[in-house]
Amino acid sequence: MNFKKIGVIGGGTMGQGIAEMLAAKGLDVMLVEKTPEKLEYSYDMIGTSLDKQLEKWGITLAEKKLILGRIQKVTHFAELSGCDMVIETITEDLEAKRQVFAQLDQVCPSHIILASNTSSLSLTELASSTMYPERVIGMHFIHPVSKVDLVEIIRGLKTSDNTFNETKRFVEEIVEKKGIMVFESPGFVSSRMICLLINEALHLLQEGVASPEDIDDAMRIGYSFQHGPLEMADRFGLDSVLAALERMFREFGELKYRPSIVIKKMVRAGQLGVKTGEGFFKYDKDGDRI
Amino acid sequence: MKILVINAGSSSLKYQLYNMTDESVLAKGLVERIGMDSSILTHKPAGKQEVTEVSEILEHITAIRKVLSMLTHEEHGVISSIEEIQAVGHRVVHGGESFKASALVDEAAKKEIRRLFDLAPLHNPASMMGIKAAETNMPGIPQVVVFDTAFHQTMPEKSYLYAIPRVLYNKYKVRRYGAHGTSHEYVSHAAAQFLDKPIEDLKIITCHIGNGASITAVQNGESIDTSMGMTPLEGLMMGTRSGDLDPAIVPYVMNKEELTVNEVNSMLNKHSGLLAISGISSDMREITEGMEKGEPHSTLAFDMYEYRLRKYIGSYAAAMNGVDVIVFTAGVGENSIVLRDRVLKQLTYLGVELDEELNKIRSGDPRRISTMNSKVEVLVIPTNEELVIARDTHRIVNAANSQ
Repeated sequence: MNFKKIGVIGGGTMGQGIAEMLAAKGLDVMLVEKTPEKLEYSYDMIGTSLDKQLEKWGITLAEKKLILGRIQKVTHFAELSGCDMVIETITEDLEAKRQVFAQLDQVCPSHIILASNTSSLSLTELASSTMYPERVIGMHFIHPVSKVDLVEIIRGLKTSDNTFNETKRFVEEIVEKKGIMVFESPGFVSSRMICLLINEALHLLQEGVASPEDIDDAMRIGYSFQHGPLEMADRFGLDSVLAALERMFREFGELKYRPSIVIKKMVRAGQLGVKTGEGFFKYDKDGDRI
Repeated sequence: MKILVINAGSSSLKYQLYNMTDESVLAKGLVERIGMDSSILTHKPAGKQEVTEVSEILEHITAIRKVLSMLTHEEHGVISSIEEIQAVGHRVVHGGESFKASALVDEAAKKEIRRLFDLAPLHNPASMMGIKAAETNMPGIPQVVVFDTAFHQTMPEKSYLYAIPRVLYNKYKVRRYGAHGTSHEYVSHAAAQFLDKPIEDLKIITCHIGNGASITAVQNGESIDTSMGMTPLEGLMMGTRSGDLDPAIVPYVMNKEELTVNEVNSMLNKHSGLLAISGISSDMREITEGMEKGEPHSTLAFDMYEYRLRKYIGSYAAAMNGVDVIVFTAGVGENSIVLRDRVLKQLTYLGVELDEELNKIRSGDPRRISTMNSKVEVLVIPTNEELVIARDTHRIVNAANSQ
């Protein structure tokens, strides 16, 4: 497969990041949202993200224009029929995702790979809504997509070797990230480990063992993490962390996944981290720590 | 012999068709935006109207096929069939330590160019695509590769090594390679020819000042030192590149501004140089205009650019214990009267005497701009890298044929 044009479904944080990264690698992107308003918003957010990179000298003005020029705004699935791959990035709602895959199955020729950026849902279950489950695969990017060079490639029960190999080639040769092979399991490798680390940090906080700053410094300085676990939670969004923990708790049934009461309380209060300006720490509108 | 010279970039391809009997250019042109549905082919046949064609050219093989059909086109063409092209010469940016001269393309050469991808990740893969595309379209036609780094392979260890742990050279070949070698080689030989003296008797400093800029000390007809380093970032201040700086600035700034490796690379290569200091442009013409209007940032940018160039000339005069010839070439070197004027008027300690009137003459020919009394000959010589590629290809293919 010659990967030239990639469809990205959903213009949320991950969809924006993936669309921007793909366009920066020189691929044509068709970004899909439900309404023209949402689409415009996502596109503007990509522009803002590129402006930030421009400020940090990461790209030039000409490169910004080129990248934005490669992103085409689309509101109908039918327009994706010419894509060489489609990546779905909508919210972690199994039923909604199943509907997207069923629609894509109709639109895209049977050899086109359909990937989901799900961080915890069952690929096998998603694939079961299509006629060609062998072409369905998971491609879990990590936020911020342009800076994190790791992708978990998740095989569902029926994902074919060819689909996996082509996806791996896409990840490693076209978008130049490291692809690791993961078999279907709740939270895969990255989310499962990082959510547990965050949850343990929450327990430490709850037990009064250390302050948020000191917990984060312990991991950041002691073990060379870029951000400590609590700041990471703020950056992922506390609601997303809570949802992931709850899903793993349900699936595995093990107590170690039970979300700390601290995070539940904060989510109920609408204190969700960077996106609301406050989580365990405070942030300005550019997402920098105050 | 008719020779096609190809300079392939990742999304562009320049070409020139030479007739080597008189070294005339039969046609030249450019394919831009390869990989997009609206690629542009601009074809300039000698003595005929320029043509532009927009079409979908997704990769280099198609690009070369289009070029060949243009060269043999009934109306715009300059040859009647592809068979008339007897050899192809390619520009390759990085030849590492393996290629000290131009070489015939065979399996071993291709393998080596591929091995060097690591040292020139942006450029060598594109050259390789050009080679493959020519092979596919013109099977059996001999091809030659000409390297930007080859001329500098004569540098002694003391010039090319960095004073850092030796293991980095042993493991990764971290060293100075230089660039624009084809141009420095061409203008140094053209200078000797212009002066009608054997090149071996001359100490020459060649200043290739274009968008990228480098300066070379040529002694005994060989490059003994050059300002670009392992990558084209080192040395002179350029349009958007910083040139020399304290390497400790890099980790310091990365830490303060939380920059990634990509960001800091982009900062030094694309957001620095004239552009960073002037705040308006990377183009010497616009900087000069700004300076003439008394704009302070443009003036500073120009001053820094000139000062750093002059320091390098002084250091290469020291490297060779003297200098007989200074050559200016490439876009800025050939055209910026004011830059040459400012540099040369402050090299009187070397015995340079500028002829202001000669310096103001605009011409496409090699010319002297120093006075008859000047102890150092100062020349402006338009560079012609394509001709060097055509000549090398001609020589190597003839030698291979006569074996």
